[in-house]
Amino acid sequence: MLTLKGVQVNFGGVQALKSASFSVAEGESIGLVGPNGAGKTTLFNVISGVVRPTAGRLDFRGTSLLKLPEWKRARLGIGRSFQIPRPFGHCTVRENLLVAQRFGAGKRDLRRIDEILDILNLRDKADRDATTELALTEHKALEVGKALATEPSLLLLDEVLAGLETSGKRAFMERLAAVRDRYRLAMVIIEHDIATIAALCPRVLVLNFGQIIADGSPDAVFRDPEVIRSYTGETTLAEAS
Amino acid sequence: MSNSLMNRILLAVALAVAYVGVPLVFGGNAYVLGLIVAALTIAGVAVAWALLGNLGGMVSFGHAAFFGVGSYTSAVLAMKLGVPVFAAMLLGGLGAAVSSIAMLPALRLRGPYFALAILAYAHIFQILATEMTPITGGAGGLLSIPRFPTVLGFDFGDKTGGYLIVLTIVVLAALAYDAIRRSTWGLALKAMHDTEVATRVVGVPSTHLKAAMLVLSAFITGVVGAFNAHFISFLDPDYAFSSGWTVLPIAAAIFGGYRTVWGPVVGALAIYLVDQLLFKPILPHGHQMILGVLLCAMILFSPGGLMPALSRRPVKENRHAHA
Repeated sequence: MLTLKGVQVNFGGVQALKSASFSVAEGESIGLVGPNGAGKTTLFNVISGVVRPTAGRLDFRGTSLLKLPEWKRARLGIGRSFQIPRPFGHCTVRENLLVAQRFGAGKRDLRRIDEILDILNLRDKADRDATTELALTEHKALEVGKALATEPSLLLLDEVLAGLETSGKRAFMERLAAVRDRYRLAMVIIEHDIATIAALCPRVLVLNFGQIIADGSPDAVFRDPEVIRSYTGETTLAEAS
Repeated sequence: MSNSLMNRILLAVALAVAYVGVPLVFGGNAYVLGLIVAALTIAGVAVAWALLGNLGGMVSFGHAAFFGVGSYTSAVLAMKLGVPVFAAMLLGGLGAAVSSIAMLPALRLRGPYFALAILAYAHIFQILATEMTPITGGAGGLLSIPRFPTVLGFDFGDKTGGYLIVLTIVVLAALAYDAIRRSTWGLALKAMHDTEVATRVVGVPSTHLKAAMLVLSAFITGVVGAFNAHFISFLDPDYAFSSGWTVLPIAAAIFGGYRTVWGPVVGALAIYLVDQLLFKPILPHGHQMILGVLLCAMILFSPGGLMPALSRRPVKENRHAHA
C-alpha cells in the first residue's frame, strides 16, 4: 500500500535520510528501530507530509504523495501520532476525536468515537480537558485515538510506549494489538524496546544515519552484526555485553 | 434552570429591549440614537475582528481596510451604477471579502508578522482610494451618497431606521460567530491555535479554515462600512480607512471580552457610550484618557474582559459551553 523509493531529506548540510526505500503491505505491522538521530521521526514526517523530501518517490495505494499536503494524506488514510503528545488545546478528549473524525474521515459517527474511547480506555476521561487533565498514558492513548478517528488504513506510531512503566507498557501494547486487529490496520511503530517490537511486529526495519541497514524478522534483524554495531559499536551481543 | 436556557432568555430579553425598547425610549432623541448607532457600528467591526482573532487565531491591525473597501464599493455602486442601497451594502461586504483575498499570502505569517503585513495591506487600499479619483472622488471623497430607502412606509433613512439596520447586522454577525464556534469548524479552529501541524495530520485544512475566517471577517466589516457610508452619506479616504476603525473595535472587543460572542458588542456599547455621555461632558478635551485607563484596568484585573467578569465565570472554565 505504501512504497518509498530513494527518499532523501536534507536539512541544510545535514542529510537526515539517505535514499530510504521500502514498502508496507496492507495490514502489515512493521517495527522501525534505530539509534537516536537515525532519521525515524523524519521518515514519519516525510510520509505524513510534515517534511518534504529532497528527492525520491512516495506512493500510497497508487497515488503519489509528493505534492499532497498533510491533510490530504490524512484523508487518503495515513494516520500518525507524535512522539511528544500534541492534544488540541482548549478541547476535551472527545472533541479531539470529533475534530479528527470530522476532517480526517469526513463524517460524524459518535458510536465509533465511543468505541475508540473504550478500546483506548479513555471513556471516563472523555469530557476532560485534553491538555491539562490527562496522565502521560492517557495523552499517548489520545494520540493514537486521534489518528484512529480519521479511519486510517496505515497508522504511524511514534514512540507511543516511551516513558511508560512496565505494566502500563504491557497494557498499552495489548490495546495497540486490539486496535490493529479490530480495524485491520497496517502499522509502522517506532519503538526502542526490542521486546515490544518483537511481540507486535513480524517485520522490523532498522535505520542508522538515515539509511535502512536491515529489513526482516525480529530474530534475524536483532542478530545482524551491522544492527548490533549501530546500537553498541560492537559486532556481537557477547562483545557488547 | 440550566445555564443554556438562562442565556437564551437573557438574549431574548436583550433583543426585545434592543428592537422595541431603545427605539421607543430614544426614538425622539437623535443625538443619543446617533451615538448608539456609532457604538453599534464599532460593535459590528469588533465582532468581525474577534471572530478572526478568537477563531482564526490572527490579530489584525488592518480591519480599517475592509471597512473602507466596503464603504467605497457600496457608495460607488449606488451612486454611479444605481444599484439599490440594500443590495449595494451586501455587495460592499462582498467587495471587502474579495479584497481580503489579496491578504491570503499573509496567512502563512504568524503573530506580529501577520499583524504588520495586514496593516501594510490596509495602507495600500487607502492609497488606492485616494489615487483612483475618477471612481472614488480622490482625496475630496464622495458627497451625497444615497441614504437607505423607505420600505413599506418605514423610513430606513432616518436615525431609527439606521439603528435597526446596524442592530440587525450586528446581531446576525454575532449569531454567525456563535454558530461557527459551536460547529466542528469552530472546534478545529480552536484546536489549531496551539498545534496547527497536529490538526493538519488529522485532515484539517488549516490554511483554508483561516482563509475562510479572514474572508468572513472582511465581509462583515465591509457590510458595516457600507452601512456607515449610506448612514452618514459622506466618505473620504482619511475617514473611511481611518485607523480608528481598527483601534476602537480592538479596544471594544478586548474590553468586552473577545473570547465571548457578545463581549465585543457589550464592549463597544460600554466604551463608546460611557465615553461620549459621561466622560466627554466632564473632560471635553482628553476624555479618551479615562477610557485608556479603564481599558488598562480591565486588562490587568479581568484579562478575559467585561462579559466573563460579569458572569463570574472565567472564559477558560466556560469553554465547554462555547464549544
